[in-house]
Amino acid sequence: MSCVLEIKNLNAGYGEIQILWDVSIKTCSGLCAIIGSNGAGKTTLLRAITGIIPTMSGSIIFDGKDITKLPAHIRAQMGVIMVPEGRLLFGEMSVLENLQMGAYLKRAKDKYKQNLDFVFSLFPKLSERINQKAQSLSGGEQQMVAIARGLMADPKILIFDEPSLGLSPKLTIEVFSIIKNLKEKGIAMLLVEQNVHLSLSIADNAYVLSEGKLVLSGSGGDLLENPQVKEAFLGL
Amino acid sequence: MLAYVNAVISGILIGLAYAIAALGLNLIWGVMKVINLSHGAFIAFGMFAAYMSVKLLGVSVYTSLIPIFVAGLIVGIVAFFVSLYRVLNAPELTTLLSTYSLSLILIGLGTFFFTTNPRAIDTHLGSITLGYSSISYSRIIVGLISLFLAGTLYLFLFKTSLGKAIRAVSQNPTAAKLYGINTTLVLSISFGIGVAFASVSGALIASLFPFTILSGGVYELKSFVICVLGGLGSPAGAILGGLILGLLENLLSLKMPVDYMPFIEFSILVIILLIKPNGILGRR
Ligand SMILES: Nc1ncnc2c1ncn2[C@@H]1O[C@H](COP(=O)(O)OP(=O)(O)OP(=O)(O)O)[C@@H](O)[C@H]1O
Ligand SMILES: [Mg+2]
Repeated sequence: MSCVLEIKNLNAGYGEIQILWDVSIKTCSGLCAIIGSNGAGKTTLLRAITGIIPTMSGSIIFDGKDITKLPAHIRAQMGVIMVPEGRLLFGEMSVLENLQMGAYLKRAKDKYKQNLDFVFSLFPKLSERINQKAQSLSGGEQQMVAIARGLMADPKILIFDEPSLGLSPKLTIEVFSIIKNLKEKGIAMLLVEQNVHLSLSIADNAYVLSEGKLVLSGSGGDLLENPQVKEAFLGL
Repeated sequence: MLAYVNAVISGILIGLAYAIAALGLNLIWGVMKVINLSHGAFIAFGMFAAYMSVKLLGVSVYTSLIPIFVAGLIVGIVAFFVSLYRVLNAPELTTLLSTYSLSLILIGLGTFFFTTNPRAIDTHLGSITLGYSSISYSRIIVGLISLFLAGTLYLFLFKTSLGKAIRAVSQNPTAAKLYGINTTLVLSISFGIGVAFASVSGALIASLFPFTILSGGVYELKSFVICVLGGLGSPAGAILGGLILGLLENLLSLKMPVDYMPFIEFSILVIILLIKPNGILGRR
């Protein structure tokens, strides 16, 4: 089976400070979850995958191509799209402009109309607020725009960094049901979440990151039953 | 009374030309958070480019604006890669020093070739009489061209794909990268546009007043005052600031020697920074 994303012995960090040590990950299809406590290096790993920070050594293979040395915007062009931690919206732009920026790439522009209909069907609330400035939205609404913008980019792999951060329990459930829905549509995804129980229960495979190293991996169900995971993350 | 009417009209027209230089400075600040200390050198570049076009090629100063804009754009992009690209992520002082050294080099070269003798461009256009006050045609043309440039910049930034990419990079460079925007390219083009605006405003000002290779500094100071007055990062603020400065300058010159203007401008700068550091229309 061909894998969408394969990371081999990745070492990365910020300047001289190494954060990730020899991390290897494979996502072949469906949803892959990465869990780990605060500061474990999850966001750093996603930044290395998307090209926001350079890698020190190791390789990142996407769709059979080595993207380790490619700049972030080229990776986006290839279909590696992230809904980043903290949303990173274009604050002074309207909701609609944010969605248009999501579809900035040629590939995504061609499917603009179709994808716009799709995101409005997922988030009907957004269609009522298309002219509002992104920075004036509530936190939950901003998260919806961030997810919608990611979908507008027509991703080949969609990477989520803590999509439920700061959301109410009700909205969290809503976001998870959307992720499940996307999974059924066949979009490959990489998910980093604080909500370990929810994410493991929808993940096909999962990895546990601790202090920048991979410590466990397995299917979502296996990890959910794993005593170490239970103790460290599920408070059982 | 008539003198005042005349000063108001003149002030608005020249204020628009100042606003063009300030818009360039503002764009560069807004997109890459760099204070371009070479802005004055590029204003002087525009002045002398216009002067040479009129003197050597015999074209009208207004025709020369188009090649000057294009030259400014290209020179700006090259200058970005030479002096800014590698230090963009360094502490702010580094970009100040690097644009300042660029300015020293350009002004040094300019002094070598042109000396510091004053020059002037005569447009031979005469003036129009409105009631009892008279306004020179060249001022009216400068005002209209400036207005056109400001409007075009607005349409470019808000209606075109590249313009939207520039705004996206200024609002969130990381997100811009994540969604496929080549931020390095966008930054270089923005710097190019900023320099092109400086050059064109220099050419416009040169069509009205005498100048030397060192005059750029005077107008660079005006650009700073305008940006701080209107609000750094706010394009509408730059226009408003330009109008206020143009008006003030022309009205005050009725009561005091023009030599006092830099003093007044510095005072405005300091006062605004003290009481309203974000300017009139600035973002918080
Ligand atoms: N820009 C940066 N420069 C230097 N160190 C950083 C930077 N960003 C993060 N770090 C460090 O890298 C380590 C991993 O951080 P990272 O953000 O990847 O953790 P995380 O697993 O995403 O945590 P969280 O669950 O809190 O989001 C931390 O020790 C952090 O202090
Ligand atoms: Mg994180």
